[in-house]
Amino acid sequence: MKRRIISGLLVASMAFALLTGCGNKSEKESTESSGDENTLTVWCWDPAFNINAIQEAEKIYQKDNPEFKLEVVETPWEDLQTKVTTAASSNQIDTLPDIVLMQDDAFQKNVISYPDAFVDLTDTGIDYSQFAEGKVSASIVDGANYGVPFDNGAVIACYREDILEQAGFTTADFEDITWDKYIEQGKVVLEKTGKPLLSCLAGETDVLAMMLRSAGGGFFDEEGNALIADNKILKEVVETYIELVKSGVLIEVNDWDQYIGSLNNETVAGTINGCWIMASIQTAEDQAGKWKITNMPKLDGASSATNYANQGGSSWAVTKGSKNPELAADFLGSTFGGSVELYDNILSTGAIATYQPAADSEKYAETNDFFGGEEVYTKIVEYAGQVPDTINGVYFYEARDAVGTAITNIIAGADIDAELKTAQETVEFSMQ
Amino acid sequence: MKRKMSIAKRHNLTGWTFIIPAAILIVAMSFVPMVQALILSFQSGKGTALSFAGLSNYVRMFKDGVFIQSIKNTFFYLILQVPIMLVTALILASILNKKDLKFKGFFRTAIFLPCATSLVSYAIIFRSLFAVDGFVNTVLIKLGILNTGYNFLGNPTSAKVIIIIALLWRWTGYNMVFYLSGLQNIEYSVYEAAMIDGATAFQRFWRITIPLLKPMILLTAIMSTNGTLQLFDESVNLTSGGPANATITMSHYIYNVSFKYVPNFGYAAAMSFLILILVALLALVQMKVGDKRD
Amino acid sequence: MIKLKNSFQYIFLIVASVVSIFPLFWMLIAATNKSADVLRGTLIPGGYFIENLKSLMASQPVVSSMLNSFKYAVVLTIISLVICSLAGYGFEIYHDKGKDLVMSIILLAMMVPFAATMIPLFRMFSNAGLLNTTIGFILPSLSTPFLIMMFRQSARSFPHDIIEAARIDGLNEIGIFFKMFIPTMRSTYAAAMVITFMNAWNNYLWPKVIMSDDSSMTMPMLIANLTAGYTTDYGSLMLGVLLCTIPTIIVFFVLQKSFAEGITGSVK
Repeated sequence: MKRRIISGLLVASMAFALLTGCGNKSEKESTESSGDENTLTVWCWDPAFNINAIQEAEKIYQKDNPEFKLEVVETPWEDLQTKVTTAASSNQIDTLPDIVLMQDDAFQKNVISYPDAFVDLTDTGIDYSQFAEGKVSASIVDGANYGVPFDNGAVIACYREDILEQAGFTTADFEDITWDKYIEQGKVVLEKTGKPLLSCLAGETDVLAMMLRSAGGGFFDEEGNALIADNKILKEVVETYIELVKSGVLIEVNDWDQYIGSLNNETVAGTINGCWIMASIQTAEDQAGKWKITNMPKLDGASSATNYANQGGSSWAVTKGSKNPELAADFLGSTFGGSVELYDNILSTGAIATYQPAADSEKYAETNDFFGGEEVYTKIVEYAGQVPDTINGVYFYEARDAVGTAITNIIAGADIDAELKTAQETVEFSMQ
Repeated sequence: MKRKMSIAKRHNLTGWTFIIPAAILIVAMSFVPMVQALILSFQSGKGTALSFAGLSNYVRMFKDGVFIQSIKNTFFYLILQVPIMLVTALILASILNKKDLKFKGFFRTAIFLPCATSLVSYAIIFRSLFAVDGFVNTVLIKLGILNTGYNFLGNPTSAKVIIIIALLWRWTGYNMVFYLSGLQNIEYSVYEAAMIDGATAFQRFWRITIPLLKPMILLTAIMSTNGTLQLFDESVNLTSGGPANATITMSHYIYNVSFKYVPNFGYAAAMSFLILILVALLALVQMKVGDKRD
Repeated sequence: MIKLKNSFQYIFLIVASVVSIFPLFWMLIAATNKSADVLRGTLIPGGYFIENLKSLMASQPVVSSMLNSFKYAVVLTIISLVICSLAGYGFEIYHDKGKDLVMSIILLAMMVPFAATMIPLFRMFSNAGLLNTTIGFILPSLSTPFLIMMFRQSARSFPHDIIEAARIDGLNEIGIFFKMFIPTMRSTYAAAMVITFMNAWNNYLWPKVIMSDDSSMTMPMLIANLTAGYTTDYGSLMLGVLLCTIPTIIVFFVLQKSFAEGITGSVK
């Protein structure tokens, strides 16, 4: 009897396999349980952060639109990218949800690779002038806006005030400084406390990219050509980075867990990263009150150098798979693009706005006890407003990997110019 | 005579009937997409804007420094790891097949365990074990072998060796399973007869176990070759392909070209077919050597 | 002399077991500690197990993911064992030049990285309306060259005189397969079951690509979600990983006796 059931199953699945081969396009089944036009589907990835934010936005939007509903599908970023690529490459845009959250670094790549997949939001009434310019630029393609900015990626430098004190410094000594000064003071800290000032991932170019962006630089020029070999700013950045490694002020680790570990375990006296790093620092509850925040160091040589940059951060995009793109755009525009209340509600999760009116709210003036009892949010929004415009480029990930390889080789003793030239060639090869 | 022919024919036909369900599924689920990928490999362009490009993708990969590096890395893993793993698995299986061994169930489960362990945790553990201030370095320093912590994952050669160690750790028990199940088809009396004839343990292993396990050894050899040439998980999760692409595998690079970088599916498909050709050639050699019916 | 050799064997096995078990042990310890302590590499059990469990249950649908994973793995294992063993048996017992050739061609199906065939496959499934369906989930992994070949190789040691005897007794060919082959080859089936169950349980990329709603989440997806946030809670992550590992270990432990202790003798 059991056998019979199994062979029955077998025949059924066989028949199905055959049908799949020659079946014609069936009516698109709704991927959601409820397919009515007041329901939007969203893909994003962090329950404590962006999922919470969009659900807060849902509540706010529901006040005026009680019919409105949101279905959030938790999708890790790498998988989200894979799914978007798969759906767009196989011309199945309608399998995409209404809204996806997109890493800013990948935004231009996706829009340019799949021009038919995303909705141009320029004329949907969202007032982009209210957002920090450096943030909005990440989701602009050919002058058109494709994204609604979400979280702030303004770079902050975090220091362990208690460790600095042992070396005779305070965090104030690290405000508005240059990298030269940073290395000089870092050496003292290292000598007196045995702790480096900074840790980062070997072979990743996060720290380099921050330095580069802080001077308005990038891996590409305005026409989109690779600008690695003859890039004065990049060369200074690389030299500074090598100096940081050689002096021991920066310690390279091999993976993200070790990086977070180096902060939580007091292996290092500070870090420099996008402001979203605060959430990870705060998991070490025993270090409450010991951390302080200031801006990052600036390059010494470059004339365009500033103490501000962006690192990470993401923006919302509306896909052409949406049955109701107007609703999606209106929802995003009236929440992330126009609701101070929303930004107030999500501030406690570490989601800091790039929407300038939000910064004027009382919530942002509150102090944070973990970070030295200071008004950190006001500070960060202020930093975000001063971030220079940069060009990420479509081939950003290619460039990042090629430069990462070059850095590893340079640290191992290879020549800077030769390695940067190789990196330039590698990127140009990818662009062919 | 005629009747005999028809029986043979009928059996032949029965054989095909048994094969057909599996074959249809493989054709629909693998060969149809493969043909489409093959067509794609003669096209180039970004995203969905593709045009016919002849053999240019196939020419391109031999000019691609990163891809060539990934081929070298992958073969380094293949040559060192597969033989060591299969021999170790054979030895373990023949020990664990002994009738009088105690705690067999425990030992078998323990040694199988690594391949059931989720990739996430095993990657975290391996990385932290071999970190500069990790367990392995601490032990080596205490033993006086090293003075300061060595950056195992930061050095090209040692990072490759760690990938091999990780692979051995993860897949030896897996292959042991096939040998253990294959050994059940060997009558214990064959061993007893050999023992009476005065054969040493090594002779019994070499003259009885190996020949009788030959079909299973062929299976594991082909599967491990295929698995190693398509190696992806370890490269992505343990080393991210670094330092400076010293550990990146072909599949990892293909994935990058498809999903991380600006998608170039024509090129990714062409590289994938190179893997097919390489695995097929190696499998062909293995079949020629190992798939003879006595 | 024999004693000495035996103790060498045990030492070898014990070392191999310790090395193999260590990560599971570490996972167990980590599941009882809070995130920051896990990163500090502590090897001492902590008191955070309940907290980790609570936060895991609160953030992810653990129970339904477990049930989904279980459902998919069991269905997939049963169907693919039948389909593939039938084919492997057909290839070996009725072997001739043509079938050997077809076997070689079938092997080609596993030699292309999935990244290359995934997009055409997705288009096919999307057109057929199979996205977000159980059938779409399991169909691509029902018939695998690996399992077919495993049964083909094992069938080589299946005694031909059993087949002849059964034919004389008047059993038809499919009857021989079900009544003679399956019981005799129980050890092979048990081994194949372990491997297939494990592969199905850990299957990730394809399910993730074609399933787009939270209700079809499986354990590997759950684990991926736990690591996807900006801050990872390593304590509950390790607990999740532990929960994800245990079923395969149980399946192995239950079946290991069947595939590793001579059954063939009792049947013959």
